Order: sequence, then C-alpha cells, then structure tokens
Amino acid sequence: MIETLVYIFAYFVFPGILFASAVGLLFMGIDRKITGHMQNRIGPPIWQEFLDVGKLFCKEDVTPAAANSFVFNCAPLLCYGALIAVMLLLPINSAQPVLTSVADLIVIIYLLNIPAVCMILAGYASGCPFGTTGSSRYVVQLFGYELAFIIAAMAVAAKAGWSLSLSSIVAYQAQNGWMAFQVALIPAAIAILIAIQGKLLRVPFDIPEAESEIVHGPQTEYSGPKLAILRIAYDIELFVVAAVIVILFFGGPVPHTIGGVYIPGIVSFLIKCFGIVVLSTLIRNIAARLRIDQALKFFWTFPTLLAAISLILVVVI
Amino acid sequence: MTFIVPIGPQHPALEEPEHFRIEVKGEEVVDVDFRLGYVHRGIEKELCNRTYAHGLFLSQRVCGICDDAHSSAFTRAVEAVAGIECPSRARYVRTIGIELERIHSHLLWAGIAAHEIGFTTLFMLFWRDRELALDLRELLFGQRIMSGEMVLGGVRRDITPDKVPKILRNLDALEKSTKHYINVCTSDRTVIARCANVGVLTRQAARELCAVGPTARASGIDEDVRRDDPYAAYDEIPFKVITERDGDVFAKVVVRLREILESIHIIRHALDAMPKGALATRFPKKVAPNEAVGRVEAPRGELFYYVLSNGSDKPERVRIRTPSYANFPTIKPMLVGSTIAEVPIVLASIDPCFSCTDRITVVDARTGKSRIVTKEELRRLQK
Repeated sequence: MIETLVYIFAYFVFPGILFASAVGLLFMGIDRKITGHMQNRIGPPIWQEFLDVGKLFCKEDVTPAAANSFVFNCAPLLCYGALIAVMLLLPINSAQPVLTSVADLIVIIYLLNIPAVCMILAGYASGCPFGTTGSSRYVVQLFGYELAFIIAAMAVAAKAGWSLSLSSIVAYQAQNGWMAFQVALIPAAIAILIAIQGKLLRVPFDIPEAESEIVHGPQTEYSGPKLAILRIAYDIELFVVAAVIVILFFGGPVPHTIGGVYIPGIVSFLIKCFGIVVLSTLIRNIAARLRIDQALKFFWTFPTLLAAISLILVVVI
Repeated sequence: MTFIVPIGPQHPALEEPEHFRIEVKGEEVVDVDFRLGYVHRGIEKELCNRTYAHGLFLSQRVCGICDDAHSSAFTRAVEAVAGIECPSRARYVRTIGIELERIHSHLLWAGIAAHEIGFTTLFMLFWRDRELALDLRELLFGQRIMSGEMVLGGVRRDITPDKVPKILRNLDALEKSTKHYINVCTSDRTVIARCANVGVLTRQAARELCAVGPTARASGIDEDVRRDDPYAAYDEIPFKVITERDGDVFAKVVVRLREILESIHIIRHALDAMPKGALATRFPKKVAPNEAVGRVEAPRGELFYYVLSNGSDKPERVRIRTPSYANFPTIKPMLVGSTIAEVPIVLASIDPCFSCTDRITVVDARTGKSRIVTKEELRRLQK
C-alpha cells in the first residue's frame, strides 16, 4: 500500500509531472531570457513560458479535418508520457531512481526517441506539406544525431565496467571523479553536447521545424491544448536530456559541502543541468541553421568520430 | 512524384503577402511559379488624379523602405518635364538622404537574410545598427523613414553645420560595425555553408533577364545608374561601383555590405564638398505638354519613372517600374535545382519589395484560375 502511494507521489509530484514540468518551463524561460539578452533585446520575463502554456490551454482545440486522426491526436500525450517515464528512471535526488531495471540506459535511450518518432508520425498524419517535409527531415536528422548520442553513451557504460545501470554509473563517478574529466571520455562529452543540439532541434540543427522555411514543421497544424502539451513536453525534454548528460558525464546528484554549507544532491544536480542548458542556449545563438544534407554529413563525421574515438580508447586502455 | 509546397501569401519567410508555388520532388525544387498582385494599390492611376506637388507625397509611399528613391525618381522625371534645375546645395542634401536610405535598406535586408538562414542573433544586431542610420535621418529630415525631405525643384530642410559632428559620429560607428559584419559573414562557417554556391545567377542569365541593382552587380554586371546616368550630386562625388563575380547569395551579401561602406564614403564626401546656396527653385503650377524619364539607383536596383504632362497641373500618365519587378524573373533560374531549405534565402536574395511591384490580377473564385488584365481591358475600365 505504502509502496503504491510512494509510486503515485513519484509519478505525479516528484520527480514526475509537477516537478519535471515546473523545472522544464523555468529552464525554457531562462533560455528565452538569455537569448533575448544575447540578441540585444530585453527578452521575456523568466516565467513567460508558464503564461504562454497557460494561455494555450485556455484556447479552443482546433484540429484541421485533414489532420483529424488517432495518431495526430495522441502524439502530444505520448511525447509527454515518454518523457515523464524517463524522469522516473533517472537518479535525481540520490543515486537510487524511483524505478530501476537491469538496463536503464537502453530503456532511457529508447524512451528519449519516442517524442521524435511521435512528431514524425504526427507530421505525416497532419496532411500538410510543411508537416510532411518537416517529418522527412526529422527522420534524416534522427539517424544523424542518434548515432553520436548512442556511441557516446556506450563509451560511458564501457568505462563504468559495461554497466547499463545509471545508479552504478553515478556510483562509479562518486568514486573516480566525473566522466567528463577522464581523458578518454573528453571526446565523447564534446560529441554528446553537439548531439543534444540536434536532439533538441536547436540552431544550427533546428532543420525539421525551420520556421522561415517550413513554418513549424510537424507542429504546424497543432494549436490550443495539444500545442500546450507539446510545448511542456519539449521543455521537459530540454531538462531530461540535460539531466541524462549530467548523470552520464558530470557526476549526477552528488551532495557537496562547500565552505561549511551543505548542498544537497538535487540542488547540485539542477545547477549542473542548468549549466548544460545555458551552454546549449549559447550555441543556438551564435550559429546559422544548416541544411539537412550538411547536418547529416556533419553528424556522421565530427561527433560520431569523436564518440567512436572515446569508445575505442575506453575499450583498449 | 512531385508535390506543391506553397510559400505565401502568408508565410514566416515573407514580409509581405505574395504567393509562390514551389513544385518539389522530395527536397529538390523542380519548378517555380509565382502569383503577384496581393497588395495592388492603383498608385499609377492615382498619381494622374493629383497635382505634381501632391503626387510627390504619394510617390514616396509606393515603397515602405525606399521612399527617397521613389521621390527622387519622381522629382527627376517631373523636373525634366518642367525643364527646371535643382540648386546645387539641394542636390547634395538629396544625395545624403538617398545614401542614408541605402544604408538602412541594406542593413534591413541583411537582417532579413540572417533571419532566413536561422541566424536570429545576427538579425537583431544588424537591426540594432540600422538604428544609427535611422537616427540620422530623423535628425536631418525629421522622420526615420518617410522623410518627405524632397520638394519639386529642391529640398525642404537644410543640413546645418551643428548637425555635422553627430552625423560623422554615427557614420564612424556604422563603418566600424559594417566592417565587423563583413568579417563575420565571410568567416562564419554556418553562414558560408548556407550562402556560398546557393541560388547562383550566372552573368549571362542576369544579362538576359535584365536583372538590376545589387542582384546584377553580384553576378558581375558593372552597372549603376548613379555612375552611368548621374543625378543629384553623383557626378561630382567619386565612388566605386561594387561588383562580385560569383552570382550566389554570398556574393549578394558581400555586395550589399560593401555598398554600405561606399555609401558612408559618399556621405562624408558630400558633407565636405557641399556648396552654399539656395535650397529650392520655384516650381511652375502648370507644366507644358512634354514627356520625360527619371531613373535612379534605388537600394534594390534601377528605379524607373515615366511622366507625361498635358499642360495642366496634373500629369497625364505616370508609369513606375520598380527594381523588384525587374528582378522577379531571376528567381526561377536561381531556385530550380536547389532545395526547399534554400527557397527563403534565395527569394530574399533579390531583396523583393512586393507592394512596389504588384499589378492587377483577376482571380476567378470558383475555378481558382487567374489572369493578368490586359491593356485594352484597363483602357475600357478607365472610361
């Protein structure tokens, strides 16, 4: 009974829906504020994302007749659900996540791809040339960044003694220092930071939803509450992807004591996630959007090569 | 299998409503068709219903950006029809206004181009520095865009010496930032990846399709109305005509940015060499029957006005050929063979100004077919 209650609490409050949504929206708000300042604007207040999503929820739910299908209507919820499931698998507060399985890492990589697959299907189902074009670009991009992402994650798993459990990766880092500071894994860390730029559809890899070319890609036909759910899902994805990287490369939730002040694991974890988000924001503001063929070529050469070098170094040494 | 991707009438890449039907095969563009006419305003007809002095204000409002180019072309044609000369100080003041306009128009374009390739930060920074030129226009003429500084036979306001230090200060800031932007655009790898070898317009195609302005100069055609048929004070000011050879979007970026530097030199020189004297000559109320052509180099290319007078205080006929209208046919050779990703930046690369361009199109609402109104039909409608 208690176990069920704890699980329900974890799903709805911490680290599930409430916590993940709040942090995701807040990170996105800060991202927009920093972007504003970098672009010589004042930028919106950091709680603007909450207001935007709230406004979208209050709007009428309009679905174009051509798009009205099961896939199109379900895609936002599937995105959202998959990302909340990832939150439950991540060791956020301590080394022990809410749910554990034998091969956490594989499940997480799989779940992190569900939003992308949902968007691709929704784009094709939307009956709109912009959505179709966006989806076909998304498929190509998915194969681009995912290769680098997976190889980099495998390198970390190999370093932690071929362990696919995030708890043991965090425990390994608690003993041996951050993965990002291991010489063999520095290339993988760079590779994964580039790959998330593609995963989060951020400049220079915002190709599937390039607004000046194909309006908003697969999301073009969404409006109202469905768009609101997609927005929250995207903001959570921003947080979740940063969290996965913090866990794999930057030590995860480890409590520190600096100058006699005790910093709990969750706080240091959020600060590190925030650092990753800011880095991603900086990159997205200092580049132009690439073309899909250029992006694929780039992903399969530079980041994939870096990640592969790491994997080989870890296995050989 | 090919399908049609509509760009416009409402699309984030377009600042004004216009419809492009892009026929694509996967990502590759195989054919392009465009439909103009969404913002037709009947200005040519309206100009014939107004006196010359009144029509000048309307001619400025043909374009929301290059108002000085339009008013200088109109005054040039009307002054030639009436056979009057503009005093030389007024010619220098006009030159400064026109060049300030070129600077802000090119920076505006550069910002839009940066937006089309997804470089929002650069877009915002371009527009930040565009304010320097707009501030100067406000200082000199009282308005940022619709300056209304030209009158028939001269200019309305003088440039007093107390304004010169501020002008020079802003020009220095503009020169510094423009040099920085040239450096950024020619060294940033993502910008080069998106602009180099994209939307190539060969020299021969540019010649055959009668491209004008920076679009033609980027393809290596050395033509500039300011030098070839001088107006205002351009015959007394030395300046270079900027050309590039490649004809791609990158060449168009470089041509426009380097033209900003050239405009800054022209303004500095004009401030130095400005003679003293009257600001305007009297313009007669009625103009004897005559006809004349006034052409100027607008920021987008050669702008052409034809004025036919009939002895009254109103023109009999005014014909406007805007540079965007001349440049539209070049879109097809630039787009066919490229990808959808390149459509916005290639469309933007001619710096299209749609509202200047639009002509009457009749669209049958039931069948969706459209046709252009012929000359005879227009004549019949006029009666």
